[in-house]
Amino acid sequence: MEERFDAIIVGGGLAGLGAAYTLASEGLEVLLLERGDYAGAKNVTGGRIYLNPVRDMYPDLWKKAPLERFIAHEEVAIMAKERSLTLRYSGEELRTEPYQSYSILRAKFDRWFAKQVERKGAMIVTKSKVDDLIFENGKVAGVKAGEDELYADVVIACDGVLSLLAEKAGLRKPGNPKDYAVGVKEVIELEAAVIEERFGLSEGEGVARLFMGEVTKGMFGGGFLYTNKDSISLGLVVSIKELMENKDRIELPVMFEEFKNRPEIAPLIKGGQTAEYSAHVIPEGGYKALTKLYGDGILVAGDAAGFSMNIGVTVRGMEYALASGYYAAKAVIKAKEKGDFSAKTLAVYEEMLKNSFVMQDFINFKEAPHVLENPRFFTYYPELVTSIMRDLYAVPAGPKERLYPTVKKYLGFKQLWAMAGDMRKVMKI
Amino acid sequence: MSEPLNLKAKLGLNVFKEDKERHINIKPGMEKDPRLKRAVLVCPAGLYSLNDKGEVEFTIDGCLECGTCRIACGVEVLDWKYPHGGAGVQFRFG
Amino acid sequence: MNVVVAMKQIPDLQQIRIKNRQPVFDDVPLTFGTIDKNALEAGVMLKENNLAEKVIVLAAGSEDLEDTVKEALAAGGDEAFLIVGDDLNGAESSIIAQVLAAGVKKIDDVGLLLLGEGSGDNYSGQVGSRIAEILGWPQVGYAGAIKLEGNKAIVTRVLEDAEEVVEVALPAVITVVSGINEPRIPSVTQILKAGKKPKEVIEEDELDGINKEALITTVSNLAPESDRKRIVVKNVAELVDKLRSENMI
Repeated sequence: MEERFDAIIVGGGLAGLGAAYTLASEGLEVLLLERGDYAGAKNVTGGRIYLNPVRDMYPDLWKKAPLERFIAHEEVAIMAKERSLTLRYSGEELRTEPYQSYSILRAKFDRWFAKQVERKGAMIVTKSKVDDLIFENGKVAGVKAGEDELYADVVIACDGVLSLLAEKAGLRKPGNPKDYAVGVKEVIELEAAVIEERFGLSEGEGVARLFMGEVTKGMFGGGFLYTNKDSISLGLVVSIKELMENKDRIELPVMFEEFKNRPEIAPLIKGGQTAEYSAHVIPEGGYKALTKLYGDGILVAGDAAGFSMNIGVTVRGMEYALASGYYAAKAVIKAKEKGDFSAKTLAVYEEMLKNSFVMQDFINFKEAPHVLENPRFFTYYPELVTSIMRDLYAVPAGPKERLYPTVKKYLGFKQLWAMAGDMRKVMKI
Repeated sequence: MSEPLNLKAKLGLNVFKEDKERHINIKPGMEKDPRLKRAVLVCPAGLYSLNDKGEVEFTIDGCLECGTCRIACGVEVLDWKYPHGGAGVQFRFG
Repeated sequence: MNVVVAMKQIPDLQQIRIKNRQPVFDDVPLTFGTIDKNALEAGVMLKENNLAEKVIVLAAGSEDLEDTVKEALAAGGDEAFLIVGDDLNGAESSIIAQVLAAGVKKIDDVGLLLLGEGSGDNYSGQVGSRIAEILGWPQVGYAGAIKLEGNKAIVTRVLEDAEEVVEVALPAVITVVSGINEPRIPSVTQILKAGKKPKEVIEEDELDGINKEALITTVSNLAPESDRKRIVVKNVAELVDKLRSENMI
């Protein structure tokens, strides 16, 4: 039996759900296929979503959304082997509604979002894996899922970072290790009151802490900690290329355990019970690693297209997924008005992205990946900064050195010259 | 794994639903390919390990479906698919 | 003749986690018990062999049933008859049996009522027998094969070390074991069609004469205490030693 839809969306993550929500709101016949037991069952985030860029695309969504805590405090911890320096930024704007960002758990959020999508009239079938695309006259005409052949005017591939579908459509090649990072995370349960006390939070407030330096043994990446309602998301992100080539042959699970056992971390999670251990690949290749975004009868959105970005101070992906799903849907609506789903018409998707924050961010930050790859950021600078701090705070048995020479001895001409070089590169970001 | 850690116990906290077949396989003839050794370092679930003979051994139980091994080793070495619908890891928190 | 399959909505057992020895039910998806799916498959196969007209899924539970039942309709059920009530999820066997028996009476031309031998969650194994008693029908348990001939069923009962073949006049209640078949996994098109299949939903209080007095009180429901010794061994010999000293081998 042949079933036909206006659009088939593959993958119930934020891009897929966002596209389905937008299409169904406009009355299109939409089928979303998700291979997990429920939307969200295969989805992982480090932990934080920024709402400002996507608030207006989904105006009715946020009021009741099951988000965790609004992030009122931004912290960064510079980690050297034996010491660390932590900065905490708190600002009135972070404590004022509408809040800029929230911690989030995807299995919870996506499952809820899927319900809202169904209420808009889209069909969602879970536990169904799409195995292949159906081509007719060189154009994507539908998908194969097991024995089923399902047809649609257009397929939106939101099948995640590996996007086997975009590969089958010839829009991308299998990923190159240098463009991807792997993230691991534990969700550690703690009572809300304990979290608030431990992290100095008022009720409902959350904190985001990024760790850079020794935690990734000098490799490109970092650690993260986000407070949820009654749990903590603690994890590490490391470049796949650097990890697979690391000379000391450190295995990722070992690196993560060492991170958890750091004296800066252990007391924060003390008494907590780990409830889940998850991992996911993150696209980090930036603008240059984006896949082709459309073809005849097909669009690619979210992680599948490479829409995720690490610029050191922020790591973002979910807003790009929600926005690219939204624009993919808008492109399909335009194509339907024209009655033409060829690549020529669907190109409007890329146009719309270029006029939005999505592509503008990717172009503005296109140098970020290779600037941040600099190993000096992960070993040299953390050691330098924390050594200066050690000497500044030290009170020896004898006389204490004057402050200026204390600092000066670390910053000779050679070091300053190298720093200026690094700085010139950083200025490109 | 160089250390057993408590990785098994950690993976035991997750929900895994049985699949009718392995969704990742080493391609025939690629068992000794040096690229496989990369998986030992990158796999978050520690599913790849080196045996005494220096060969890579692989088990699928506890796979988090992240795809890191596919990216690190490449598709010439690994035949990599997702598990069937409704099978494999089901995250409750994510 | 129609076949009714009674199915129990239960939490997906694999999704339940244990926290401080208590099961955590928050956000756990609902499904049907695995043996219930065998019962459904047995009904669907009878229909496919032209021995039954329709397969009707009968269930009693919270209103989530309307969603949960799609799974059974996709797997071959033709229609659903649902009795919803807030306190029906996890209600004890005596109450559920009355509710389901009342449901069977409201369905036309029922020749066979199929159930799993026990439910997926607490496996009391009572509901089939209790319904048979209320309806005055014969009941056969541990069914590993069912054949229909005219107005009787020939049932192979799978016992521990024997197989017994019995004959029973219809209408009858038959409870099946998991070995009876391999339930089909519905395809996407079947799932899509399931949403359009007829469903009759009635409220529990539309049924008369249900005695809802609880006869059993659950005192506690705890995971077994795991008593780990946390002994670290350096080699196999040491492990064997330790196991011996604990009388484990």
